[in-house]
Amino acid sequence: MSFLEPLYLLLAGAAAVPLLLHLLRRRISLRVEFPAARYILRAERENSRKLKLRNFLLMFLRILAVLFIALAAARPVGRLIGSGHAPTAIAIVLDNSLSTSTIIDGAPLFRRLRAAALAAARHATPSDRIWLVTADGRVVGGSSSSVADAIQRLEPIAGAGDLPRAVTRAIGLVRAAGLTGRHVAVATDGQATSWRRTTSTPDVGVSVFVPAGNPPANHAVIVADARPTRWTPRGSVVARTLGADSATYRIAIGGSGSAARTLARGTAVADGEILVRAAPAERGWVAGSVELEPDELRGDDVRYFAAWIGAAPSVTVDPSLGTFVRTATDALVQSDRLRLGPDAAIVSADALTRLPALIVAPSDPVRIGAANRALERLGIPWRFGAARHETGTARESASGSLKLVDGATVSMRFPLTAQGEPTADTLARVGAEPWIVAGDRYVIIASPLDPSATDFPVRAGFLPWLAEAASQRLAGDAGIVLSATPGTRLRAPAGIQGVDDATGQPVPITNGEIVAPDRAGVYFMRRGSNKSGAVVVNGEPEESSLARLSPAALRARFDGRDVILTTDGERWASDAYTGSARRPLSTPILILAALVLLAEALIARGSGERSNRGTVKAAA
Amino acid sequence: MESSRAVRADLFDPASLASLGHVEIVARWVVDGFLNGLHRSPKKGFSVEFAEYRAYQPGDDLRFIDWKIAARSKKWVVKQFEEETNLRATIILDVSRSMAWSSAPAVLSKQRYAEQLVAALSLLLIRQRDAVGFIRYDDKLRTIIPPKARTKQWRRILHALEEDGAGLASIAPEALMQAARLIRRPGMVVLISDLLVEPAAVAEAVKMLRAVGHDVTVLHIMDPAERDLSLGGEAVFADPESGLEVTATVADVRAAYRTTVEEAIAEWRSTLQSTGAGYEVFTTDEPFGVPLRKAFAARQRLP
Repeated sequence: MSFLEPLYLLLAGAAAVPLLLHLLRRRISLRVEFPAARYILRAERENSRKLKLRNFLLMFLRILAVLFIALAAARPVGRLIGSGHAPTAIAIVLDNSLSTSTIIDGAPLFRRLRAAALAAARHATPSDRIWLVTADGRVVGGSSSSVADAIQRLEPIAGAGDLPRAVTRAIGLVRAAGLTGRHVAVATDGQATSWRRTTSTPDVGVSVFVPAGNPPANHAVIVADARPTRWTPRGSVVARTLGADSATYRIAIGGSGSAARTLARGTAVADGEILVRAAPAERGWVAGSVELEPDELRGDDVRYFAAWIGAAPSVTVDPSLGTFVRTATDALVQSDRLRLGPDAAIVSADALTRLPALIVAPSDPVRIGAANRALERLGIPWRFGAARHETGTARESASGSLKLVDGATVSMRFPLTAQGEPTADTLARVGAEPWIVAGDRYVIIASPLDPSATDFPVRAGFLPWLAEAASQRLAGDAGIVLSATPGTRLRAPAGIQGVDDATGQPVPITNGEIVAPDRAGVYFMRRGSNKSGAVVVNGEPEESSLARLSPAALRARFDGRDVILTTDGERWASDAYTGSARRPLSTPILILAALVLLAEALIARGSGERSNRGTVKAAA
Repeated sequence: MESSRAVRADLFDPASLASLGHVEIVARWVVDGFLNGLHRSPKKGFSVEFAEYRAYQPGDDLRFIDWKIAARSKKWVVKQFEEETNLRATIILDVSRSMAWSSAPAVLSKQRYAEQLVAALSLLLIRQRDAVGFIRYDDKLRTIIPPKARTKQWRRILHALEEDGAGLASIAPEALMQAARLIRRPGMVVLISDLLVEPAAVAEAVKMLRAVGHDVTVLHIMDPAERDLSLGGEAVFADPESGLEVTATVADVRAAYRTTVEEAIAEWRSTLQSTGAGYEVFTTDEPFGVPLRKAFAARQRLP
């Protein structure tokens, strides 16, 4: 039994009134003349034992009546003994977020939640309606056995899910059922990051089961990225760990589990960042992972990434571009980051004959016309303007992560003008005007790569920029990487015909949408038989923070009056099912109080006697 | 039925009746109403009607010899009549303080009720040519009027009713003994009291009266509230006469009180009847005719 207005229990203190009256009854000040007082005295003497018993009984009944009234005022709700429960619409919200897979006391916390949910489901009668709603938004309804089966099969997902949304959905289900008994039973670990929003539960009873115990300290990989996505074949893995102390990590690529090859091992400092550069021998789309030593929450000890790995692109270099380009190209070739070959060209715009190409503005303004004609001939929607001799500073676009161009001084340029609405990226600007743009298989730079026009060729960023441009922009479209959390709906890129998991099992694409699988990992997208990208599924980083809400804070997340928190799974299971049987008890208690008062009146007045208080006053 | 009752003052509500006039007038109404309601019978009559003849015995009063029969038959016979008034009655009234109490303004006090009763009863007896005496007492004998059958006697009794009383005790035994002294030959004694005294002493006095041949009738007057404790609440109940104080919750003791009162009445009845005395209980809300009839019935039992 619980109370909706517990402060009214203070009224129970009024029970002292009849007690005091009973004890102080001999201090009565009203004096009445009554010649036959001797008979009263005789009656009292002859019936003293009976009168004492009667007075005690009256006092007891009066105290009981006051207590009942106070109890009723406190608006108790509870289950009446033997009342069973009314037909109930009940939705069990089972938290299957990643954090529930934490091992506490030797077993995953989820098992306790699941066991309680199973117990709750098995209390159902055929007159009930029951649903299971999971943190990842799944809803299973039907008979108690089918819901129990669904609970039995349920496993934690790799992400956080959305518990407030699940509760809202559960409330909608029980409201729509049209039964008077409506209850939402929530089994959760009470993780603070899972309960950030408040849910309104105005007319639905809610019981929340949060197993007792403190969450363990947790290590987790909260970031794992391949940079860039396209390795030729060099690339780097950037990761970040969470934990109060250092942890050993392993970076693996090329498969799953033991089939994966270790790319690097090391020790990450507490809450530290890991950067590992590599040039793996694998080619094509590969899955990789950053792993920590297992701890109580295994699910966030691994985080996945995907990268495309290929050979260094081959380029031809236009000799007219000058010393700086040639020297930089030689250096990249010597370091195996470029090859000399026909795949792409680094060429002055006026000598452009094919794509892919890194197109450099001609050093002679006279050649601008030829350059623009070459651009037009190859369908490139950009044109060079008249030479502009004014000094400016190049700024990379916000999307540029390497910032290799930022700060370069530009003293002469041929402003680029878009023809129509080009589908191109502006990689850098000088002032407000595009300076370096990139499109399908081309990159255009609006100044000659010569110190008389810009100091970019002599800056430290030039060499990696040139390698990046050649490998990422000129080597063709290898595809894209979509990052998602479990259950996220993703729009499938154009032309994608299938998504496979690591074992080759297909992930359905419905109406052009991919639902990110519950299990973390790398899922490759296909165009025909070729891999053309990857969906990388990882849990939300905040799911690794296992801190729980206090009971009061968790209670405050439910904006309703009939909300009960418990750490007792069995009680929760019975309360959940008897939630509707937890009825307001005020009326039965008031009836009891009335019966007690009736008994008191009968005893006080004796058998059918009448009292007439006014007569005393008149006689007095 | 209703109409016949309506004209009989002895059946009126006593409080209403008492409010209509002085005790003298009210007593007359009551007695007239009472007499109208009586059935005629030899035993209940009070005339000097002829009853029978018997043979003359030496010593018989010569006035009662029937001379006509003597002339015709040469035999002396004497006329026998119903006895003329020769009863000597004494009415004893308790006027102690407890008698002055009433439970409500609309209810006659026991004393006022008893005074009406005394006036009516004495008038009734005097009309029958009985000699009526009157004694008032509280903690002492307040009034002593020897029995006489004159009409003026009733006036004396009415005057006596207006005298002081309300003493803090009730000496019923002494009053009874005084009555015995007033009536030399066997007669009738009527005690009207609320009997808030010890029964043993009263019973002893009654016993002595009975021993000398008096017929004793005790009319026990009670206020209705004294009979059933029809009060309410919690209070200190004080006896104005004895000073006794008892704290009680009426609802708590009412049932036990009623039982106790019934036991006390039964005790009085048993004690007095064992001595041969009559005993009747009345409450002050009963019409005067009821106790009057009981008292008159006692008189009719006498020769």
